[in-house]
Amino acid sequence: MKHELRMGLAALAVGLMTSVMPAKADFWSDAGAKYKGVTLRGVTESTPPSNYIKDVLAPAFEKATGIKVEIETTSWDQMYDKAIKDMEAKTGIYDMVYIEQDIIYAYLARDFLVDITKSLKDDPSLKAPDYDETRFTTFANYFKNADGDLFGIPMEAFIKLYLYRTDLFNDPAIKEAFKKETGKDLAPAKTHEEYTQIAEFFTKWGKDHNLELWGTTAQAHTGHPASWYEFFESVAPTFGVYNWGIDASKNYSASVADGGTMNSDKAKAALKYWLHLRDIAPPESAASTWTEVGTTFAAGRAAQGMVYGENAAWIASDAEKSKVVGNVGVALPPVEPGVMEDAESGKGYIGYYDGGAFGLPVTSKNKEASLLFLQYIGQDSVQGDWAVAAPRITNTATYDDPKVIEMDKKLNGYYTMLKNDGKLFAGAPPYPFHAQVREATAPIFYRILLGEVSPDDGLDQMAAAAEAELKNLGYRK
Amino acid sequence: MRSNRVGWLMLAPTIAILGVFGIVPFLYVLYVAFHQWNPFGANPYMIYNGANNFRRLVFDNEFLTSIAFTLKFAFFAVLSEVVLGYFLAQLFMKEFPGRGLFRTIHTLPLIVAPIVVGSVWRLMTTPSIGIIPYLLKSWFGYDLNIGRDATMAFALTVIMDIWHWTPLVTLTLLAALVSLPKEPFEQAQIDGANRWQIFWHVTLPMIRPAILATVFIRLMDALRTVDEVWMLTGGGPGAATRYLGLHIWKIVFPKTDYGYGSATSIIVLYLTLVMCWLLYVALVARRGQKRAS
Repeated sequence: MKHELRMGLAALAVGLMTSVMPAKADFWSDAGAKYKGVTLRGVTESTPPSNYIKDVLAPAFEKATGIKVEIETTSWDQMYDKAIKDMEAKTGIYDMVYIEQDIIYAYLARDFLVDITKSLKDDPSLKAPDYDETRFTTFANYFKNADGDLFGIPMEAFIKLYLYRTDLFNDPAIKEAFKKETGKDLAPAKTHEEYTQIAEFFTKWGKDHNLELWGTTAQAHTGHPASWYEFFESVAPTFGVYNWGIDASKNYSASVADGGTMNSDKAKAALKYWLHLRDIAPPESAASTWTEVGTTFAAGRAAQGMVYGENAAWIASDAEKSKVVGNVGVALPPVEPGVMEDAESGKGYIGYYDGGAFGLPVTSKNKEASLLFLQYIGQDSVQGDWAVAAPRITNTATYDDPKVIEMDKKLNGYYTMLKNDGKLFAGAPPYPFHAQVREATAPIFYRILLGEVSPDDGLDQMAAAAEAELKNLGYRK
Repeated sequence: MRSNRVGWLMLAPTIAILGVFGIVPFLYVLYVAFHQWNPFGANPYMIYNGANNFRRLVFDNEFLTSIAFTLKFAFFAVLSEVVLGYFLAQLFMKEFPGRGLFRTIHTLPLIVAPIVVGSVWRLMTTPSIGIIPYLLKSWFGYDLNIGRDATMAFALTVIMDIWHWTPLVTLTLLAALVSLPKEPFEQAQIDGANRWQIFWHVTLPMIRPAILATVFIRLMDALRTVDEVWMLTGGGPGAATRYLGLHIWKIVFPKTDYGYGSATSIIVLYLTLVMCWLLYVALVARRGQKRAS
């Protein structure tokens, strides 16, 4: 009798499961049926999270719905070039575009994007059962308008963090030598002075021991905006210079004379600190963008460095690409006194919270089908594997995924840091003129890097150039 | 009358294509050049601003520096390609074992896309990991760092251009040399001319049109080079390799200053035309006048 009861219960359970599961699975095939044969085209930067969309999520979506998805992964510059041209000319080539956090304000100002929240509210038949925008982390707030409507599905979010080599930092001989030279214990730096001391020590250590080892990385390309970004988004804030030193509340002033901080004493100190680090970093630093910095660290050429979180997972875990697997520690960036307090109180921040979303251009010819795909990549169920393949977390539930918890151990607590300390970091300032101000000031910045202009004079010139460009753009009166 | 109509009819597709893809965009760029237009400005629409964009160009140090670097780049690259291309063409005129294979290998760079050429050269020249810095360090103890050494970065862009485009010059001049009649050379030899005299008084005048056409093509290409250099140096270090094409690209795309970028494009087009005209006058017209007098 008991056996029969068990059998009956099992049959009932199986029956219930089979009746429930197809209902969920059927949403995608039912919703996709109308658009079967449609091909969606997206353009994004070639990063690990984007490649995961291209290689895993797009084929899975196609299998579930019959809607084909072609994702074009290209360089950062080309991605913007193509997306903006398409939306500006209203050609409608792309149904999805990557929106980096720092460009969203410009896109919203130009009404380039579809309001996803409103669209799903207007047509509930498109709403996927496993999609809920309240499940995104607070990073999604960067992609919302004043009414709280979402204009992009967050697909990557990471912090630029301080990586260090645990094998070197824990080596007894190195620890002893460091103590002898500096009188301090070797530990991840909390201040700029400590960071410089460690960097100088390891560069000397590498030279003395004939090793291909330097004390720090530096994203200091002399012709690519990566160097500009490293300074304004990762270094200057740790000295208390926020929002690139431009104060929107003071008529978009950049110079100290007008109320900005781009050429403040703090900014000048930050630049000198960073230029010194650049000088004791590996020789390739002068030609390094964010990608090469990750490669330098993975090749075991730097003892510590500021590395974008999107590269942290493969550096720490992929033995085919990285020589430092199992030897990567993570820490918060070193800061000047008072900056951590600023960050904790919300007045400032200690580094860059980078990331991006997939948006739907208003010029898309396949808006409904695109909305389905955007929800597909926003579901909780796809996040765990995605976070393991590429270190990004955009949904709160992802932190509790067993695979992510396991990965967190390999990354020495990177995800825990993202969860607990993510609030100390910030995305780019909410200005709709990012590339314009950057391009107006970057040539001077490159001249500083080459030593053609002193850091002090260079920052003065940059502040003046930024204000001139803002006036030209009509933001500064 | 009837044949005229047929002629126009036959030309119509070409004229239509030229109009749609050449004339109309040119007129549009000309129109935009007289406007202030930045889609990410406080006012994202076109505002007529007369000749202000052109006036701004005259005082734009970055633009003037870019012209100077571009002319320097074009001079060294095109001159080297023509000289080297001529010698290679002469070499291929001679019979030697493996000539066909060598000629094929020599033309391979032509089929490689410029962006790929830039990528390959970047990999070869990246400090610490590239083969070229490695060999220079091992053989001569020289530290090549294109991120810091502006002269070397400039030199490398020239060398890369020579590597990529010399085969085109070689093929053009080879075709010209092959098509030359033998009689003038035999006559010169009978008259006792030495090799230099034959080259200067016979070969050079006869292949002058081919050289001129090649120089025009290469000069125009060199003045608008973008992708290779963008990939190799990004225009750096500083502005050392920010040639005009790249300069315009940066104004128009990342900076989205469409009005100013259009004005810059128009001026660069004008400069190119003037330079070609000057070259034509120097190499052809004046010579023609001398002969006539």
